[in-house]
Amino acid sequence: MYLLGQTLVDGIILGGIFSLSAVGFSLIFGVLSVVNLAHGMFVVLGGYAALLLRERLGMDPLVAIPLVFAALAILGYGLQVGLIQRVVVGRALVSSMLITFGIALILRNLVATFLTSDVRALNSDLTPSSVQLGQIVVDGARATGLLASLILLVVLALVLGRTRIGRAIRGTAQQGFAASLCGVNVASVYALTFAISAGFAGVSGVIIGLIGPFSPSDEAVWTLNAFVVVVLGGTGSPLGALVGGLVLGLINTLSSQYIGPAFPNIMMFGALLVMLVVRPSGLLGNAFRGTV
Amino acid sequence: MASVRGVGKVELACAAAIVVGLMLVPVFGSPFSVRVAQQIVLFGGAALAWNLFCGLTGYWSFGHAAYFGIGAFAAGLLEAELAGWPNGAKLVAGCAFGAAVAAVAAALMARPMLRLRGIYFAIGMFCFAEVVGEIVRNFDLFRGTLGITFPAVQVAGLTRLQSSFYIALALFAATIAIHVAMRRARLGIGLICIGQDEDTAGMMGVPTERYKNTAFILSAGLTSVFGALYGHSLGYITAGSVFRTDISLNMIVFAMLGGVSTLLGPILGAIIILVLTQVVLGSLLNMHLLLTGVVLIAIVLAAPEGLVGLAARIRPRRRDAPPPAQSKAAA
Repeated sequence: MYLLGQTLVDGIILGGIFSLSAVGFSLIFGVLSVVNLAHGMFVVLGGYAALLLRERLGMDPLVAIPLVFAALAILGYGLQVGLIQRVVVGRALVSSMLITFGIALILRNLVATFLTSDVRALNSDLTPSSVQLGQIVVDGARATGLLASLILLVVLALVLGRTRIGRAIRGTAQQGFAASLCGVNVASVYALTFAISAGFAGVSGVIIGLIGPFSPSDEAVWTLNAFVVVVLGGTGSPLGALVGGLVLGLINTLSSQYIGPAFPNIMMFGALLVMLVVRPSGLLGNAFRGTV
Repeated sequence: MASVRGVGKVELACAAAIVVGLMLVPVFGSPFSVRVAQQIVLFGGAALAWNLFCGLTGYWSFGHAAYFGIGAFAAGLLEAELAGWPNGAKLVAGCAFGAAVAAVAAALMARPMLRLRGIYFAIGMFCFAEVVGEIVRNFDLFRGTLGITFPAVQVAGLTRLQSSFYIALALFAATIAIHVAMRRARLGIGLICIGQDEDTAGMMGVPTERYKNTAFILSAGLTSVFGALYGHSLGYITAGSVFRTDISLNMIVFAMLGGVSTLLGPILGAIIILVLTQVVLGSLLNMHLLLTGVVLIAIVLAAPEGLVGLAARIRPRRRDAPPPAQSKAAA
C-alpha cells in the first residue's frame, strides 16, 4: 500500500513537470499547427541558461527563472519571425517539421561545441529539504518543481483566458483567417505564441535541471514527451497539458515500478499509439480534430 | 512532381547512367570511394523504398527506420541459427526472412496507421519506430544491446567490401525497376491520384485502401532488405546502429532534396548529401549536425519541390506536357 502511494506521489510530481515542459509545444501546435521538433532543445537550453547564470553570476536557478524565460522567449520570437513564419503559411505541414528539426540540430551542435556535451545538473539553495508524510517521502526539490509548474500553468491559463492578448491567441487558434478579419495581427500573434512557448520550455528546463541531470542529447526525449502529453491530453490548453502530463507521469512511474525498469518508454509510446488510433482527439477531446 | 504517364525517358536514362557509374566505382576508385558509394546505394535505396509509398501518396512516414532495423535484426537472428549453411545462402535466407517479418509488421500496422493522415500519420510512424526500437533493446530475445554479427559474404575474385557493394547495388537497381514498373501499372497511377486528392481518387473508383496497403507493405519490405544488407556491410550491429531517428530522417531528406515522388529525386539527394558530408566536409566532423541542419533548412526554404522540380520549372515546357501536378504533402 505504501509502495503504491509512493509511486503515485512520484508519478504526480513527474507529471507536473511533464505538463510544464509540454505546454509550449501544445500551444504552438494548437495555434500555428506547427509540430515544433526544436521544442526539446528549448527545454535543454533553459537548463543551460540557468547553469551559466549560476556559474558566472552565482544566481540561484529559482531566482533566474524570469531571466531564462525572457532569453528563450527572445530566441523563440526571432526563430519564428526569421525562419518558421516562412513555412507556416501555405506550405506543407511536414516542411515545418523539417525546418524545426534543422533548428534543433543546429542548436544542439552549438551547445555541444561552445558550452559542453557533458551531463550537468543544477542545484538551488532555496529548495526545502525532503518531507515525510507517513511512510511516503516527498523530495524537496521535486516538490518545489511541481509547485512551480502548477503556478506557471495557472498563470498561463489566466493569461490565455482573461487577457486581450490571450483572446487574440485563442481566436487565432480557432481560425486564423477569421481572426485576421477581426483585426488581429495573425503574424504577430504567431510570433508571440512562439515566444511564450519557448519561454515556458526554458523554464521547465530549469526545473528539470533541479531534479536531475541533463545533457544536449536529452532534447529528443523532451520533444517526444511533449508529443505524448499532447496526444494524451489535447492541444492548445494548459488544462490539456496538465491532464496529459499527469497521465504520462503515472504511466511512467507505475510501469517502471510494477512491470520493470525497461518499460516506461514502451508503455509511453504504446499509450500514444493506442490513443492515436482509438481516440485521436485526446482525453479532453479538443486535439486532432478532423484527423480521421 | 510525378506524372501519371510513368517515368519519363530522360529520368530513366539518368537513373540508368547513375547505376552504371556506380558499377564502375570499385574498378577505378579507392576503397574509401567504394565505402561512400555503398552508403549511397544503401541509404539512397532505402530512400527510394520510402518514396514508393510515402513520396507518391504524400503519407510522410517519419519512422521507416523501424523497417530498416526489423530487416537487419530478423536477418541477423535467423542467420545465427543457420550454422553450417554457406554464407551466400545465409544472406539470401536472411534477407528473405527480414523482408517477410517487415511485411507482416507493415500489414499489421497498415489498418490502424493508414487511417491517420498528414502529420498524424507522421507522428504515429515516429512512435511506432520508437516502440520497435525500445522492444528490440529491452528484450534479451532480440539481442538488441548485445548486438548480432553477420557472416562475411565474398564473391570469388572480389574483396569483401566489393562483394557487399555489388549485392547492394543489385538490390538498388531492382528497386529502380520496381519503381518504374509500378509507375506504369494502375497501382502507381492510383497512388499518385491518392497523393493529389485521396477523397476524390476514392470517388473516381481508385481502390484507395487496397493500393495504400499494397504499397505500404512493399515499401516496408524493400526498406527491410536494405537494412539487412546494411547489417551485412557493417558485420556487427546493435539496436543503436539501425533503430536511429536520423535513418528515418535521411530517407525524407534525400527524397526532398532531389524531388519527392520522382524516381531520380531520392537517388540524386543521396548522392549530393552523402558526398557532401562524407567527402567534402569529412574533416569537419564536430560541425556535422549543424551543417545537416543548415542544408535541411535551405532545402525547405529554397527548393521545396526538390532539384528535379527545380529543373522542371527552369526547362521550357513542351506543348503537350501535362500541367504541373498540385503538390500534396499538405494534408
